[in-house]
Amino acid sequence: MSGTLSFEGVSMTFADGTQALSAVSFDVSPGEFVTVVGPSGCGKSTLLRNASGLTEPSRGKVKVDRKSIGYVFQDATLLPWRTVEANVGLLAELQGFSRSDRAAKVRAAIDLVGLTGHEQKYPKQLSGGMKMRASLARSLVMKPKVWLFDEPFGALDEITRERLNDELLSLFNHEGFAALFITHSIYEAVFLSTRVLVMSARPGRIVGDFKVPFAFPRPHDLRFEPEFADLCGQVSAALRGAHA
Amino acid sequence: MTQVKPPESAPELASYPEPTMHDIDAAAQTPLAVVDDDAPPLKVKRFRWSDVLGPLAVFAIFIAGWYALAYSIKNNFSPTTGRPLLVPAPHQIFWGVNDVRPKIIEATLLTAKTAALGLAIAIIIGMGLAILMSQARWVERALWPYLIALQAIPILALVPLLINFFGNNFRSRVIVTVLIALFPIVSNTLFGLLAADRNQHDLFTLNGASRTTRLTKLQLPGAMPAVFTGFRISAGLSVIGAVVGDFFFAKGSPGLGKLINDYFLNNQASRMFVCAILSALLGITFFVFFGWLGNRIVGKWYEASRPGQ
Repeated sequence: MSGTLSFEGVSMTFADGTQALSAVSFDVSPGEFVTVVGPSGCGKSTLLRNASGLTEPSRGKVKVDRKSIGYVFQDATLLPWRTVEANVGLLAELQGFSRSDRAAKVRAAIDLVGLTGHEQKYPKQLSGGMKMRASLARSLVMKPKVWLFDEPFGALDEITRERLNDELLSLFNHEGFAALFITHSIYEAVFLSTRVLVMSARPGRIVGDFKVPFAFPRPHDLRFEPEFADLCGQVSAALRGAHA
Repeated sequence: MTQVKPPESAPELASYPEPTMHDIDAAAQTPLAVVDDDAPPLKVKRFRWSDVLGPLAVFAIFIAGWYALAYSIKNNFSPTTGRPLLVPAPHQIFWGVNDVRPKIIEATLLTAKTAALGLAIAIIIGMGLAILMSQARWVERALWPYLIALQAIPILALVPLLINFFGNNFRSRVIVTVLIALFPIVSNTLFGLLAADRNQHDLFTLNGASRTTRLTKLQLPGAMPAVFTGFRISAGLSVIGAVVGDFFFAKGSPGLGKLINDYFLNNQASRMFVCAILSALLGITFFVFFGWLGNRIVGKWYEASRPGQ
């Protein structure tokens, strides 16, 4: 089965000889939310850079329609000289949409991430959580079919992070994109995903593959259910094995 | 080493019924939680005594030092009239200045014009060079040595050349100004252009941005704080350039440089000091202008920080 995004035996060796990825294969289909967890420096970000076409793998193939990719970075990467509104419209602007075409999309995206009323603020006036919302909205404007997330909530406090997780899932339900999400939080991975992949320390290989069976929409309290804890325990065990 | 088994069967969570389309839609349509986590507070400008007393104290020390200097120099005052010869005391600064007031005003305006024109040309050339250098490493490496040489070369050595090509006049004065003001503009602009974050560049790459788009929408706007730092440094230098140029290329109506030289040769210390102070005021005016302009352009978004504020 090949999905919207397919990795086929992808290996990555950098010019200095570091091997970042070793024969990674998996698919992500529309409506799937795949999360990769792994120790830091295991090549998770390299995986995303390969998926997006920012870098090409040394061996193997990545199949994806590069035109419909959304990429959310570790930090919000907002342009500090642009207001929230202008930042959210940036990608549409770069891809040549006219001002009038952009306006409605930008409006809708800002409403959807809950930044209504903050359109004219500059990034320096926003909290970390609000910046990340703006960053999500910026991607959302382009209606990506494949959405790549590089530890987007890693720098946020626990409460903001949980709230953004809840909201990301409702976006996922609504938009039906295929998601590939990188994190080092097991709980975040299990809560968000339909499938969790565990990566080993460098060179990154997939050493665990878990289906997450919980139905959508996932209520906030799912995090405190025994089944949830149980699955987190299994992922954690796999991760410890990978680290050893 | 671990063999990981996926859970055998999906645990059925009785408490979470299968979602209906309605649920999903409702979840997505409801405006997501109204955000106001921990937005940074707006900075309120507060009056501080130290903001006023600090500058006043420094000014008092400056004046006291000036008096001390004027009265500690031997034979600083004419034994007959008391006229200052080398350094006028602060209260003697206008001694004999009234007679030459129109001349000094005219010279000041001319020097201002020279400096402004030279600075404008330096900004255009300097930013152009920096943009060029930001586009390819080899261009940057090829041009640096000449820019540094330009910055270090004594103007004196260029005087014959400039006279030969441009004449012993206003044009050469402007060119000297350009030469002196150019370097900080190039180096600050280039620094700013190359300071864009890697992720921001990736974002532009992923969305198919052209070189020009990258320059106009990412690099140039991001460079503005550094660009204005360069402008402010060059603002002061442009006045120095105009005065030096005036001193070397003396044909035509005199600017402040020529007057300073004349008054110096005639032991007219007060007049000379007034001209020197006017040059300094010109420099400060230019500096303040660019500070104001920079603040208008980047103040809304740029965050300068000091510890504990």
